[in-house]
Amino acid sequence: MRRATAGEAAGRRARQRLTVGRAIAYLALAFYAAISLYPFAWMVSGAFKSRLEILAGGHLIPRDPTWTTLAQTWNRLNFFDYFLNSVKVTGLTVLGVVAIYSLASYAFAVLDFPGRRFLHRFFIALLFVPGITVLLPLVLLENELGILGTHQGLILPFVNGTAPLSVLLLTNAFRTVPRELRDAARVDGATEARIFWGVYLPLNRPILITIAVLTAVPTWNEYVLSRVSLNDESRYTLPLALEALASENVPQYHEIMAGSLILVIPVIVLFFALQRYFLSGLAGAIKE
Amino acid sequence: MSTNQRRRQWVTGYAFVAPAVALFLVMGLYTIGYSFTLSFAKWNGFTEHWQWVGLDNYLDLLFSDPRRAPEVHNAAGHTAVTMVAVPLGTVVVALPLAVLLNSIRRLRAVLRSIFFLPYVTTGIAVYYAWRYVLEPDGAINLMLRSLGLGSLSRPQGFLADPATALPTLLVIMIWGSVPIAMLLYLSGLQAIDPQIVEAAQVDGAGAVRTLRHITWPLLVPITAAVVLLGMRDTMQGFQTFLLMTNGGPGGHTDVLGLRTYHLAFFQSLSPTLGLASALGWLILLAALALTVLNARLLRAQR
Repeated sequence: MRRATAGEAAGRRARQRLTVGRAIAYLALAFYAAISLYPFAWMVSGAFKSRLEILAGGHLIPRDPTWTTLAQTWNRLNFFDYFLNSVKVTGLTVLGVVAIYSLASYAFAVLDFPGRRFLHRFFIALLFVPGITVLLPLVLLENELGILGTHQGLILPFVNGTAPLSVLLLTNAFRTVPRELRDAARVDGATEARIFWGVYLPLNRPILITIAVLTAVPTWNEYVLSRVSLNDESRYTLPLALEALASENVPQYHEIMAGSLILVIPVIVLFFALQRYFLSGLAGAIKE
Repeated sequence: MSTNQRRRQWVTGYAFVAPAVALFLVMGLYTIGYSFTLSFAKWNGFTEHWQWVGLDNYLDLLFSDPRRAPEVHNAAGHTAVTMVAVPLGTVVVALPLAVLLNSIRRLRAVLRSIFFLPYVTTGIAVYYAWRYVLEPDGAINLMLRSLGLGSLSRPQGFLADPATALPTLLVIMIWGSVPIAMLLYLSGLQAIDPQIVEAAQVDGAGAVRTLRHITWPLLVPITAAVVLLGMRDTMQGFQTFLLMTNGGPGGHTDVLGLRTYHLAFFQSLSPTLGLASALGWLILLAALALTVLNARLLRAQR
C-alpha cells in the first residue's frame, strides 16, 4: 500500500517535470520559429505598406495594408517576363540534372564497365572545385562559343555544377534497390533502358524529388553567374530584376520588399507542395 | 556472363555516363585547365597575347605585392573566421533544435516547415529583407531601443559599422544553413532505435548520459557532413558578402571569393585576370588540403 503511493507520487513528480520540460521545449522552439520568420515577416510587412507608411517605419503590422505596392511593382517592371525567364532557367536546369545524373548514377550503381570506380570517385571529388575558380574561364569560354548571355549559357554550367552531389546521392539510392529486381527483369528480356525507366526511377521517386528541390532552390536564387553574363535586360532572371529595382536611385523599401516577396513565393509554394517527398528522400539519404 | 554480353554492358555503361562526362569535359575540365594555365600569365582580357610571368601571380598575392598581399591576407583572415564560425554555429543551433523538435509531437510538422523557410528563401530576396531590418532606422535598432537596450543599437546600421558588419553576416549565414543541418539531424534522430534508448534509461542513464553515449555517437557522421559541407560553402561562397556589404565597410568583410570576383570582373583594363586565376587556385588548393585532412581525421576516428 505504502509502496504504491510512493510510486504514484514519484510518477506524478516525473510527469510534472515532463510538463515543465515540455513547456520549456515549446518556448525554445517558438523562439527559434520567430527568428526563422523574422526577415520574412518584415518582407511581407513592407510589401503591403504604401510609400508613406514605409517611411513612417517601425511597425510590423501595416496600419493600412494595401495591394497597390505589389501590383505596381509587378506591372511597372514587367515582372511577369522575368518570372518566365526564371521558370525557364530553373525548370530546364532541374530537368537536365535529373536526366543526366540519374542515367550516370544508374551506370555507377549497377552496370559494370572499365573505369567505373574511377569516374564515380572523380565526379564526387569535384565537390571541392570552387565555383569561383572556374567562373572567369567559364565566361571566356562561353564568349568563344557564343552562348554568353543566353539562358543556355546559364543552364549548362548550373547543371554541371550539381554533378557531385547528385551523383553521390543518386548512386547511393540506386545501390539500395535489390539486385534481384534487376535480374528478374533481365530474365524477362527487359533492356537496361527499360529497367532504368520502369524499375529504378519509380522506386527512387523521393530522392529524385529531393535532388530536384536541392537544385531548384539555389538555381532560382542564383545571382553571381547571371550577374556577370546576362547583359540583355529582356533575358534577366528575377534576382537580376530585383537588383535593378533596388539600385534605382534611392532604395524604395516597400517596392524592394514587394519584389522580394514575388521572387520568394514560388519557391515556398514549390517546397510545400513537395515537402513530403523531399523529407523522405533526405531521410533515405541519411541512412546510407 | 559471356564476353559478348560483358562487352554489351560496357557499351551500355559508357552510353549512360556519356552525357555527364561530355558536359564535364566542356564546362568543367576545360575551365579548370584554362584557369590553371592563366594563373601563370598576365592578361587584361582584350590583348591578343598573354604575358607569361611564371609564379609571379602567386608570389604577388601571397607576399610580394605591397598593395595586394595585405588585401589578400585581410580577406584570408575573414574567410578563416567564417569557415570556423559558420559550421560551428550551425551545429550548435541545429542539433539542440533537432533534439527539441524530436521530443515533441504536437506542432512538430508545422515547426519543421517554419524552421525550413530560411533555406527556401535564402538568396538575394532575403538579403534585401535583412538589409531592411538592419538599417539605421530598421526594425532591429528600433526593437533594441524600445527594449531599453539602446546601447546595443547601431546608429550607423549594423552593416555599415566596422565592429558589427562581419559578426552580423556570420549570424545571417548561420541562420541560412541551420535548416538543412536541422533536417539531417532530425532524420538521424528518428532513425535511432527507441529500444536502445529505453534500455539505457532502464539501466539508470539520465537524459544527458543517453544523449552523450547513445545519441551522439550515431550523430557523429551527420555532424562531419554538416561541418565539411559548411566549410566548403564558406570557403567558396561569397554571395552573402557580395550582396550585403560588397566587402565593406573599408574591407572589414572582404573574403577570398569576393577578392577573386573583383580581380576577375571589375578591374576594366588592368591585367589582373592571371591574378584572379591564381587566387582561385589558391582557394582550390586550400580546399583540397582541407578535404585530405578531413578524410584522415575521419579515418583515424574509426
